[in-house]
Amino acid sequence: MEPILKFEHVSKHYPNGVHALKDVSFEMAEGEFISVIGPSGSGKSTLLRAVNRLIPISGGTVRLDGQAVSAQRGAPLRRLRRRVGMIFQNYNLVYSLSVLQNVLHGRLGYMSGVNGVLGLYSEADKREALELLGELGLGDFAYNRASDLSGGQKQRVGIARAVMQRPRLLLCDEPIASLDPSSAKTIMDLLRDMTQKRSIACIVNLHQLDVALNYSTRIIGLSQGEIIFDGPPDRLDDATIEKIYGTSRENLMIGGSGDEQKNTADCA
Amino acid sequence: MSKRIPLIARDLKRLYTGFLLAAAVLFAVCSVLTQFNVMTLIANGGAFWAFITEDFLPPALPKASRIPGVLSSVVVTLALAMSSTTVAAVLAFFVSLFGSEKVSPFPRLAKAVRGFATFLRNIPALVWAFILFSSLGIGTGVGFVALCVTSFAFMVRAFVETMEDVSQDCVESLQAVGASFPQRVAQAILPSCLSGFLSWFLYCVEVNIRASTIVGMVGGGGVGLTLFSYIKSFQYDVALSIILLIAAMVIVVDQITAKLRRELLK
Repeated sequence: MEPILKFEHVSKHYPNGVHALKDVSFEMAEGEFISVIGPSGSGKSTLLRAVNRLIPISGGTVRLDGQAVSAQRGAPLRRLRRRVGMIFQNYNLVYSLSVLQNVLHGRLGYMSGVNGVLGLYSEADKREALELLGELGLGDFAYNRASDLSGGQKQRVGIARAVMQRPRLLLCDEPIASLDPSSAKTIMDLLRDMTQKRSIACIVNLHQLDVALNYSTRIIGLSQGEIIFDGPPDRLDDATIEKIYGTSRENLMIGGSGDEQKNTADCA
Repeated sequence: MSKRIPLIARDLKRLYTGFLLAAAVLFAVCSVLTQFNVMTLIANGGAFWAFITEDFLPPALPKASRIPGVLSSVVVTLALAMSSTTVAAVLAFFVSLFGSEKVSPFPRLAKAVRGFATFLRNIPALVWAFILFSSLGIGTGVGFVALCVTSFAFMVRAFVETMEDVSQDCVESLQAVGASFPQRVAQAILPSCLSGFLSWFLYCVEVNIRASTIVGMVGGGGVGLTLFSYIKSFQYDVALSIILLIAAMVIVVDQITAKLRRELLK
């Protein structure tokens, strides 16, 4: 089967000399839920933004459904982008607009210029958006301003906007980094369930190793722009974790595992 | 005796001392260059005072037949400021979209757009007025253009900064959705920056009320021209009442715009 996403020797230099990605290659198939882990500055965000060309790459090829993203400009690029949903750490909603309007933004890539500019969404799209908000537990908030919501609710609007695109692939850039632990769990559960139900492939950048281990079917470990590890969660051993983060496991706040209890016992 | 304990870091203290000395030296140099002398000012103070008390005070009303003309000239000044700022704001909005690297579809041109705006803005409205009067002749229309050019340039800068502060995140998300540039403008930039834009617009109205009086004095019409004609005909007492009228007009407009801006930024 044709992979949904294929990175072929992708590299990225920034003008300031930072080498964010070095010869990164991997393939992704339908139904996969990949977590990308690695310390800050390891190239996670660049990797994600290389997929939909929010950041243009310097070398290699990114293929979405077989089409080279890096070669596209203008309208063809927008047609590729609309098939890729994206969720951000800071939610990136338009806070002065209503929740419903923000969700409907997911349809802009499918609309004619004028209709999109004027916000003339079809009744079918509006109905779908309202149903989706209901499914995400935000049915009563459709006409609130997006700025009135809590962090977890804003991220759910972000998910709704991405799902409205009917994407093949969902990119999540640290979706739970600004959330409290309970909202974070809600969001991760939603991401897993929504992507499974709609068979959307999903890539999530994470700082929380325990979350990565719990939710993903596959983990990619990045360090200084290179893939150090690529495999299922149960193959990620301590030695690899130490190689990814460049420090021994005791120095990492991993959470959720038995180590934490042992540590507190030691302190007592 | 033990050394006194300083309250601020020594290098900071040295910096302040340096600034104070530099200011004193600068004052001395400039006084020599401009031949400004406090003593002359005090010595001639009597004549100045006499001019104020005898020529200006008490304020006198213009002839009854002239009062409607004076009032309508106030309206002309207000209208000049409002209309020129409005036209300038609409133009500035479209141009400012191309003045920010983060928003513009042609990021390489952004610097040129900002540079152009800065150049226009650094020429004061009064200079524009003189340039335009000598090429196009005197009149309210030319005053309008002079005010338009400066407030346009000012608002381009202000709008670009508002956009960069507010809308970068949501522009990125709409880019990811596959929205085109006009769609991003209408659906993300405009709604998230509108209150900021309006606030700058109102500030510009305030500035232009003052500027349109001055531009009016040199030939742009309105209450400025009325004031100037009274001064030229040595009717200083009438001029004073017009000055008071202008002050009242500026204060009222300031109050209204300040209140509106507070409401907007809530």
